[in-house]
Amino acid sequence: MSAHNQEPSDQNSQDGTTHFGYQTVDKNEKESKVAGVFHSVAAQYDIMNDVMSFGIHRLWKRFTIDASGVRPGNKVLDLAGGTGDLTAKFSKLVGKDGKVILADINSSMLNVGRDKLRDRGLVQNIEYVQANAQYLPFEDNTFDIVTIAFGLRNVTDKDMALRSIFRVLKPGGRLLVLEFSKPENEMLNKAYDFYSFSILPKMGELIAKDSDSYQYLAESIRMHPDQETLKSMMENAGFEQTSYHNLTGGIVALHKGYKF
Amino acid sequence: MLPQILCSALEKIIAKTMAMNLSGDGSLLSLEQRSLAVSLDELPFTLIFSVSNKEILVGSVPEGELPNPDCHIKSSLKTLKKLKEEQQLTALIKQGELDIDGDIKVAQQFANIAENLEIDWQTELAKHIGDIATYKLVQLVSGLGSKLNFFGKTVQADASEWLVHEKKWVVPYQQVNQFGQQVEQVSNAVNQLSQRVEHLLKKQRDKKAV
Repeated sequence: MSAHNQEPSDQNSQDGTTHFGYQTVDKNEKESKVAGVFHSVAAQYDIMNDVMSFGIHRLWKRFTIDASGVRPGNKVLDLAGGTGDLTAKFSKLVGKDGKVILADINSSMLNVGRDKLRDRGLVQNIEYVQANAQYLPFEDNTFDIVTIAFGLRNVTDKDMALRSIFRVLKPGGRLLVLEFSKPENEMLNKAYDFYSFSILPKMGELIAKDSDSYQYLAESIRMHPDQETLKSMMENAGFEQTSYHNLTGGIVALHKGYKF
Repeated sequence: MLPQILCSALEKIIAKTMAMNLSGDGSLLSLEQRSLAVSLDELPFTLIFSVSNKEILVGSVPEGELPNPDCHIKSSLKTLKKLKEEQQLTALIKQGELDIDGDIKVAQQFANIAENLEIDWQTELAKHIGDIATYKLVQLVSGLGSKLNFFGKTVQADASEWLVHEKKWVVPYQQVNQFGQQVEQVSNAVNQLSQRVEHLLKKQRDKKAV
């Protein structure tokens, strides 16, 4: 089977394996492999995002903020928040009476995020937590909003993560998942495949001196559930009024769900 | 993602403008954590202006999904231009061209920020092209401005001459005025005649009744 025709495999496979890009690995191994990727890319993560997406990722994130309905005084969890793009904006919008927690499983990404936000003078209402999305270390019904941007596809057990997020949301709270998804159009899909598998790893080699990590990026996107599948997964975790909005022809999708 | 592109551009322009403002950003203190929503007929979404840490943030929401702003203005672009005059505010609301929900002071404070901007354009330009080039450019623009003004007035006068005296397509102002006065005289005479006729008819009716 060619690399471009892989289908997303079952998350909870019976033999205790899961996918790491197109590779099949032991479930216990995935976390450390993903950690290795992000330790490697952390320093150049922001530059690479700008280069790979031609700056469009900023608009995708802005769309997410606009869709969140955030208000002054809200408590927000920016999960897999990495270098803190969403946290920076949320921090300004929730104000001194609100709080934003930037959580990431990877210490290198968290350090880059913390340094960046502090350099921008954003210190007042932000806390930093190293946490695994599957086992969130927060009490039930804590947050008004949880966001996870370009992080869910790296989680070993997505269903477990979604249930964990559901638990920590307040009733009436909402989850926003911004993630790469399946393009709506076949021609766009082909162009996107070419770009992802032929151009991205070369960019990774040139800028971050790491083509393997960007090969993993392209593969992990193809292994991630498509729009409808992720919507069903959110519903299975307990979310209601779930919906999604395709961005840039479906290359990225924003899923939203509420806890009632 | 047009709303996001617009908001991003607006935010950058506003930030740059506020950075150049000589009167500083003190006026933003009173608006800290307050928000103003603006719905324009020309846009299919609502713009949200909010202030945080002396910074104006711009976001957008689809129509009908407002997150409880402090003030919400519904209007159109051309009506907003009329808002420059404060006395227009009540008139525009009465005419239905402007709808304001919430704390009107928030809208006024945002408007005051725009009105009280003090930007030394020459200093800002000099930072990019140098003092001498800026001076020359300002002189050039000023000179061009006067010449264009003079040219405009000359063209207007010549055109007026040509239309009225040469082509006789337009009647001179004095003649129009005179005509107007004559029409008024005729109108008054007709009114008087009409009153006289009515008086005579009444007299005749009274005679018949007797």
